Amino acid sequence: MSKYAMVIDMDRCIACHACEVACRSHYDVPVPYYRNWVHDLRPEGVYPDIKKVSYVGLCNHCDDAPCVKACPTGATYKRKDGVVVVDKDLCIGCGLCIEACPYGARYIDPVKEKVDKCDFCIDRVEQGVEPACVATCIASARIFGDIDDPNSKVSQLIANGAQPNVSSKVNVGPNIYYLDSHNHFPVVQAAFPPKVPNMPTPQKMWTKVLRPLFWLAIGGSFLGQLAAFSTQLFKGESDIKE
Amino acid sequence: MENKNIKLNDDIVLDHDLLKGPRHLSFDEKRILATRVMKKHGVGGVTLHWVNAISWFLLIFTGTALLSASYLQFAPLWYINMMDGIFGTRGAMLHFHIAVGVFWVTTLLLYGIFGYKNYLLDFVKHDLTIDKDDIRWFPAKAKNLAGKLNHYEMPPQGTYNAGQKAYAVVVAFSTITLMITGPIMAFHIGSTTIIQWSMMLHFVATMSVFAGVFVHVYMAALFPEERPAFFSMITGKVNELYAYLHHYKWWTEIKNEEHAFFAEELKKDGIDLPALHDCKNIANHQVNSKVYDMNGDEL
Repeated sequence: MSKYAMVIDMDRCIACHACEVACRSHYDVPVPYYRNWVHDLRPEGVYPDIKKVSYVGLCNHCDDAPCVKACPTGATYKRKDGVVVVDKDLCIGCGLCIEACPYGARYIDPVKEKVDKCDFCIDRVEQGVEPACVATCIASARIFGDIDDPNSKVSQLIANGAQPNVSSKVNVGPNIYYLDSHNHFPVVQAAFPPKVPNMPTPQKMWTKVLRPLFWLAIGGSFLGQLAAFSTQLFKGESDIKE
Repeated sequence: MENKNIKLNDDIVLDHDLLKGPRHLSFDEKRILATRVMKKHGVGGVTLHWVNAISWFLLIFTGTALLSASYLQFAPLWYINMMDGIFGTRGAMLHFHIAVGVFWVTTLLLYGIFGYKNYLLDFVKHDLTIDKDDIRWFPAKAKNLAGKLNHYEMPPQGTYNAGQKAYAVVVAFSTITLMITGPIMAFHIGSTTIIQWSMMLHFVATMSVFAGVFVHVYMAALFPEERPAFFSMITGKVNELYAYLHHYKWWTEIKNEEHAFFAEELKKDGIDLPALHDCKNIANHQVNSKVYDMNGDEL
């Protein structure tokens, strides 16, 4: 079984945004949103020791994906090949997965009113073509492949020290790895740390307070009626006319 | 005299104060009352009840299978997988849930709009309004269930007893909540925050109804004393013994209406009937120690 992952080589990336544009045009992503992004950070440091860092990001297709757990209907699910996808038929646009995602990789499509995100271009991959962002990258800064195969390029790059964007607080097993030899990755991690998955107030209220209460009420009324019915069965019935 | 064809049965003697409540009946009186029927629900009410029940059945069975997130999950996983299998895909199940929901909301809206005067207003004003007897009913019923209070000492009840009224109010509010929150989720009306709150309220409303539904079904379909209520939801009618014992205030109300009708008929013949509670006999009206039947003939 294959398990897909991506390595982003920060040494090779020139922040040209071609991957972002390729993705946007391929999936008609409306402008304020991204399936796939390049966030340019302000230059850092004092001349001549200056860094200009860009954060190349997309859905991390996490092993322990908080969005999959948050989705009430199971519209967001993890395929066997590790790709986290959205079943648009099932999505009700509640946005719980957006609150849960540590990487801000999801948005509600304002036209379809359903959630959308990177799916590793799984339709292309299944036909043996690389994802649009990988195919378009002029510097080959994006490497896509199967990490279950130890001979694949991604596996080798990960063995060479590519690391995922995780923190001591949040580690949900992301599958996007960053290769970096100029100490740029810590800058990205400081600017875009994975955020703790959030559950909105109504869902918290339901889970913590209301659901146990209703279980009690339903269980109580069911058991009460069961007791009454058993008594009725044991006693036998008397005709009300007499 | 008109209405010569109207004949009345033998009847029970009302030797008690009608306003106070039911009394113990003799076997013969019970037998007579049990053979007579009174109309409780119109065709509109019966139809709405079953459309509502079938819709709820379908919606509960698909709705519980749609909730697969662990913090929302209600049904076991095998049930969710089974329903997925029945519908093919979960997306198809969601569309079915929405389609039944749209049908249900439309039916209720039609009932509310076209039946406002004939059904809804009457139902709310006449059947759901709470009075003192209803408030006294709850502690009395608790004592009654504990075997400490005789059935005849219970506060007399109207068309519906206080328990039924309380559940009806919960169902009414839940229904309105579901009619609003359902379309919000199905058609993505409003922001994600609105959809998230709708989701929670949708569950709260459903569970509120669900918590009472066991009592509702058990009482109507299985509990021997209330069972006539189940058949009344098919035929629209209940026997008078049930009405006398369980919905006494409603029974006297109907009897008063009948009495008023008789009184008017007899007035044409120059006979004045006393008020119902002054009569000793409910069908064969006794006037000045003389008993008249429906035709105004002296017995």
